[in-house]
Amino acid sequence: MPGRTRPVEKIAKASAQCSVEVAAYGKCVVADYNSVHKDMCAKEFMRLKNCYLAASKKG
Amino acid sequence: MISLRTFRASLSSPCFTPLITVRKYASQTPGNPMLEVFNRKVKHLQKDRAARNVEESRKVDYLKDEVAMRLCERLLDIKRDFPNVLDLGANSCNIARAITSPNLDSSMPEGTITPPLSKKISKLTCVETSHALLHRDENDPFNKEIDIQRDVIPDLETLPYAPNSFDAVLSSLSIHWINDLPALLAQVNTILKPDAPFIAAMFGGDTLYELRGSLQLADMERRGGVSPHVSPLADVKDVGSLLGRAGFKMLTVDVEDIVVEFPDTFALMKDLQAMGESNAIMNRDSAPLSRDVLLANEAIYRSLHMEEGDRGIPATFRLIYMIGWKEGEGQSQPLQRGSGDINLKDVLEGGDFNRP
Repeated sequence: MPGRTRPVEKIAKASAQCSVEVAAYGKCVVADYNSVHKDMCAKEFMRLKNCYLAASKKG
Repeated sequence: MISLRTFRASLSSPCFTPLITVRKYASQTPGNPMLEVFNRKVKHLQKDRAARNVEESRKVDYLKDEVAMRLCERLLDIKRDFPNVLDLGANSCNIARAITSPNLDSSMPEGTITPPLSKKISKLTCVETSHALLHRDENDPFNKEIDIQRDVIPDLETLPYAPNSFDAVLSSLSIHWINDLPALLAQVNTILKPDAPFIAAMFGGDTLYELRGSLQLADMERRGGVSPHVSPLADVKDVGSLLGRAGFKMLTVDVEDIVVEFPDTFALMKDLQAMGESNAIMNRDSAPLSRDVLLANEAIYRSLHMEEGDRGIPATFRLIYMIGWKEGEGQSQPLQRGSGDINLKDVLEGGDFNRP
C-alpha cells in the first residue's frame, strides 16, 4: 500500500537511532544467557524504550 | 467452538434422558489419527495475503528462485527426457522460471550456451494451495516457453493424481509445511512412474536458528516465558529414513546453508512475511509480537550474532536436498554390503586408526 508506513517500519527506523541503548541492553541479556529471567535487564530496557519513544516522536 | 456450544445445548434440553442405553467400548478415532503441527488454514491465508501484494512478493523471491535454480541443477545430472513433470507446492512457479532459463549448468566452461532444461520437459504441472500465489506470474514471458498447467488444490497433503502418471516430481521450499510428511511421500511414490525420481528441497533443522534463539531470550526477559515463534523443521538425519519408509530407493540427501544478510531483524521478519513463510504453528500466539519483545529481540540478535564491523545481521537458511527413486525394473541396485573390493581409506587417504 503506497503512502502508508507499516508499524514495523516505524519501529525499525526509530530503533536505529538508539544504537547505544540497543547495544547496552543486548550486552546485559547476552552476558548471562543461560539463566535469563523476567526483568533481568529492566533498567537497560527502560533506557532503550525511552530513547525509542523519543525517537519515534521526532520521526 | 461451535460444536461445543451445540453439545451444551443438547445437554440442557429436557429430553436428554436416554431411552435405550448403548454401551460402547472405548475406541480409537477412526482413520489415521495424526498430530497436527501446522495450521493449514493460517498458512493458506498467509500465502494468499503475501501474494496479493504482487510487488513486495516479487521482491522477496530471491531465496525461492535461488533454491529452485540449485534444485534444477540436480535435474541436469539425469540424462533423460521427462515428458510429464509435477511441481509439488509450486509457490509462484519458481521451478518453471528456473527450467526455462538458459545456461543453468554452472559446471560448463564460461561462454558455452546450454539450452534450457525445458527442452527436456514437455509438460509441467504446478500444484499449490494458494490461487493468488500460483497465478501471480502467469503473464510473464517464461510461461510461453513451457507447457504449464496450474492446479489449485485445497490441501497439499492429498494429491488428486492417478498412480504411475509422472516422470518426475519436483518440490522446492514447500514440504516443510506438511503435517504428515510420511503420508505425502508415500503418495508421491505412488503417482510416480516406475524408476522415476523425486527431487525436493526443503528448509531443515537449523534454519533461522539465530532468530529462534534471540526471540526466546527476548520473550524470557520481557514476558517471563517462551512461546513458539519459529516453526519446527525436519532434521537432516530424519529425511533419509522418511524417504526409505515411503518406498524410495537409491536415496541421496545433502545439506547446504545459505546465509542472507539483513539490515536489521525487522527487515528479516518483514521479508519472511512477504514470502508467506511466517509462523503457522497450531496454538500459536494469535496476537502479533509486542513492540517490547520486538525491540528486545533486535538488541539481543545484534549482540549475539552480528560480527564486529558488519553493518547487517546474518540469517541462516539450511536447505535439505533429497533425491529418491521409485522402484522400477532394470534399475541399478546398490551393491551388497561387504562386497566392495576397494578400501575407502586408500581412496580418501586419511583416517587416524592404525593398521592391526
